[in-house]
Amino acid sequence: MGAGREFVISLDGVRDKNVMQLKKLNTALFPVRYNEKYYADALSSGEFTKLAYYSDICVGSIACRLEKKEGGSVRVYIMTLGVLAPYRGLGIGTKLLNHVLDLCSKQNIPEIYLHVQTNNEDAIAFYKKFGFEITDTIQNYYTNITPPDCYVLTKFIAQAHPKK
Amino acid sequence: MGASLPPKEANLFKLIVKSYETKQYKKGLKAADAILKKFPDHGETLSMKGLTLNCMDRKVEAYELVRCGLKNDLKSHVCWHVYGLLYRSDREYGEAIKCYRNALKIEQNNIEILRDLSLLQAQMRDLDGFVETRRKLLTLKPTVRINWIGFAVAQHLNSNGSNAIEILEAFERTLEDDYPPENERFEHGEMLLYKISLLEECGFLERAIEELYRKESKIVDKLGYREQQVSLLIKLGRVEEAEKIYRDLLSMIPDNYRYYEGLQKCLGLYSENGKYKSEEVDQLDALYQSLSKQYNWSSAAKRIPLDFLQGERFREAADIYIRPLLTKGVPSLFSDLSPLYDLPGKADILEKLFLELENSIKITGGFPGSALKEPPSTLMWTLNLLAQHYDRRVQHEFALAKINEAIEHTPTVIDLYSVKGRILKHAGDLVAAAALADEARSMDLADRFINSECVKRMLQADQVGLAEKTAVLFTKDGDQHNNLHDMQCMWYELASGESYFRQGDLGRALKKFLAVEKHYADMNEDQLDFHSYCLRKMTLRAYVEMLKFQDQLHSHAYFHKAAAGAVRCYIKLYDSPPKSKTEDDDEMSRLLPSQKKKLRQKQRKAEARAKKEAEEKNEETSTAGVSKTGKRQHTKPVDLDPHGEKLLQVEDLLAEGTKYLKLLQRNSSKSLETHLLSFEINMRKQKILLAFQAVKQLLKLDADNPDSHRCLIRFFHRVSSFSAPANDSEKLVWSVIEVERPSLSQLHEKSLIEMNRSFLEKHTDSLMHRAAAAEMMYVLEPEKKLEAIKLIEESINHTISINGALGPVKQWKLKDCIAVHKLLVTVLVDPDAASRWRARCAEYFPFSTYFGGLRSSAISRSACQEILNAPENGGVNSQESKSGDAHSLNGNIEAFKALAI
Repeated sequence: MGAGREFVISLDGVRDKNVMQLKKLNTALFPVRYNEKYYADALSSGEFTKLAYYSDICVGSIACRLEKKEGGSVRVYIMTLGVLAPYRGLGIGTKLLNHVLDLCSKQNIPEIYLHVQTNNEDAIAFYKKFGFEITDTIQNYYTNITPPDCYVLTKFIAQAHPKK
Repeated sequence: MGASLPPKEANLFKLIVKSYETKQYKKGLKAADAILKKFPDHGETLSMKGLTLNCMDRKVEAYELVRCGLKNDLKSHVCWHVYGLLYRSDREYGEAIKCYRNALKIEQNNIEILRDLSLLQAQMRDLDGFVETRRKLLTLKPTVRINWIGFAVAQHLNSNGSNAIEILEAFERTLEDDYPPENERFEHGEMLLYKISLLEECGFLERAIEELYRKESKIVDKLGYREQQVSLLIKLGRVEEAEKIYRDLLSMIPDNYRYYEGLQKCLGLYSENGKYKSEEVDQLDALYQSLSKQYNWSSAAKRIPLDFLQGERFREAADIYIRPLLTKGVPSLFSDLSPLYDLPGKADILEKLFLELENSIKITGGFPGSALKEPPSTLMWTLNLLAQHYDRRVQHEFALAKINEAIEHTPTVIDLYSVKGRILKHAGDLVAAAALADEARSMDLADRFINSECVKRMLQADQVGLAEKTAVLFTKDGDQHNNLHDMQCMWYELASGESYFRQGDLGRALKKFLAVEKHYADMNEDQLDFHSYCLRKMTLRAYVEMLKFQDQLHSHAYFHKAAAGAVRCYIKLYDSPPKSKTEDDDEMSRLLPSQKKKLRQKQRKAEARAKKEAEEKNEETSTAGVSKTGKRQHTKPVDLDPHGEKLLQVEDLLAEGTKYLKLLQRNSSKSLETHLLSFEINMRKQKILLAFQAVKQLLKLDADNPDSHRCLIRFFHRVSSFSAPANDSEKLVWSVIEVERPSLSQLHEKSLIEMNRSFLEKHTDSLMHRAAAAEMMYVLEPEKKLEAIKLIEESINHTISINGALGPVKQWKLKDCIAVHKLLVTVLVDPDAASRWRARCAEYFPFSTYFGGLRSSAISRSACQEILNAPENGGVNSQESKSGDAHSLNGNIEAFKALAI
């Protein structure tokens, strides 16, 4: 980025009116076509799903699902996180992930996790920087890509106000 | 009023009047009934009751009562006045004026009636009458300001500006020195500015500027003051003073193009056609360099030099102008630049420049010669600009390649899809264009503009049903698309009318075209309220301007389109009346008499039911409207003819068409289309002289136009086929044509065949002229049909030489080639030639659905493959994901490879 031309990165929620932006991003970023449930989960997760705008252009997104565990506690599953290729390296992914992590600690959500293909070292390194750990490996998780295995990356978040 | 009544009833009568004025209609009605109980024949009471009912939407009773009242008391000015008001409420101003005049015969100095009369005279542009009425009002009440002003404005409108000035000055002499009071300063200032503009209009420039300076402190509108001042100074040739004012004005509004133009005029650096000598260009360049420094925020100061600079200096200026806009991401950049494409040589320079910028960003990440790295979006905006550039230069393949690259780069930018849709439209694939526009729409469901653009594309692709559904997304809930009519959404009605016309649904087409015509009548109606409002508020300059605008109203392009569309409908109907009736009859004749009778009864019943239902609905809405808001509302009657079927059953189609033709002749006499339609209608009506007049108008406007040529030949060919004149009037017509004929230079001593040949020789390189000559050859000598077809087929699609870096451009336009194809099919009726033509044009226009071009959506799916392949288009995700857990690809390979932070 040139000096003196800072471009604003802002986040916006996903609604019925702009959900197509998220679909366009996913089509460009991922080889999977997501189904209606994905979008319903994303929409109902509220603040946990966000579009990132680079000077008014939608260039990235994070989409989460809120999961209820037995016993009533909630955990967050990151369904997708991605930024359009030309706009990488500008801190947009970090901003999106930090937004969700902040939200978790504010809402006392202790656990956030995701799946990642075992050979995707860049992604694993990225998440590790944020305190995620490999907590599990699932064999043959993917059907059409090799390697078919994935790691489960989890971050346990310290509670802001621990329960007594 | 109510004079003939005893005191108690007289008071009641006053109550009716008061209730009417305060819109308490029920109360008024009660009072009226109380009087009528005792005096059932009292004329004025009957009238007032009628007027009150009129406001409660009981029109029929209203008219009955008012007429009855008048009959009972012909000598009452109240009854006449009321009758006039009733007509006025139904927009029958001519009748209303008559009633007012009768009222004034009885009570000649009644201020209220005079005032009402003057308003209608202004509305109807009865200017002599308007002056007289206003004169009378002033004589009766000279102490009222509005009467002076009204009289002056009336004189002005009646082309008597100097009288108007005198009246205003006389009015000023009646004022005290300390006039105006604080709360009337604006009104007074407006009056002064109006007077000064009158002085200017009458050519009293010195007096005007003196008056302006003398009254400066009393003029509130400082900007208006300045603009008036500078206009006078320019006319007086005092350019140095004017220059100063323009610079002042620019410091207030640095983006007003008119101020820049004025400043150039002051400096002797303005030319109407935009052409300048090289030393003038130098001076202009220097001027704008300093202006753009002075008005740093002005984009006008930076943009205007691109118009006059040439060659290398233009290239530099364009480069400097464009770069920051590409960095910032301004979607409208191309529309800003597009006027430059009409100036010779500039498009080539721009193309080179754009390509250099693109290349540099792709290689270095920054603009040429700049160390700064551009943000990633710059490349996408540059590609977008290039796509529009190639589209403008009719190089659709390049345009599509660039826009696809841009979409691939950033698939979330809506403008890119709109641009792609536009390119496909220009390339002739209307279906794909509509699909693209719909894709753009789906990406932001809250944006009315892209929704409207999508509707328009759908209509262009004749997808009327889909278009209606899409349009309704942005109308008020439950109001359906009738709401579009109430909002006077004319682009929609026109596009929809054109689509119905193409599809041969003339009833619906007419319905839409006439709806637009009605909007213009409504707009004309809308001025009524302003005749009194503007005089009261003293916004006289704006008022007079509005009246002038209204006088020109029907020359607006939308009206032209609507009226021309309606006329075309009537002509087409006349040529091929709908068959449905005869078909029905056929069906009927096959039935037994008893069955026939039953069927007819059934039809009649159904009709009656439909009518009753519509009326009931009507009633419901009107009562609901009144009770809900308490005050009178315009309730719209239910449309009894939603498909325009009744419009098709007009007795005399050509007479109906002539109605709209006349409006065109009066208001768009400079348009070829007007006279072409006049020719077509009058030929059908056998109105030889009127048709001849149309021919003469066409020749005057553009003698070289292929259609003018067609009309000229068809006219004289037709005339030559007539038998000798039988009666006097026919003889007269013949003699007129005999006298006129030699005055047409085209015809000079030539036979029609010779004339057609010389027309062809003159325009031998032009497809459309060749086609016209071929068609006329066939008309004049039907045996030469093959020669005529050969003439068309031997036309050559020349290459236009442009210095662009990419490929050549062919000369022919898609729309012309389609017209030629239709000519081959319908006039020359040669299917083989038509299909040869089709195959040939499919090569020239690979995206054209009409010609079945290989890359159009009609043939392959390539043109809109992306759309068809993307199931989420339109918001429906039909494709189920492949694995049990669709969300499993998180932390995807690609997405994070570059995520080095």
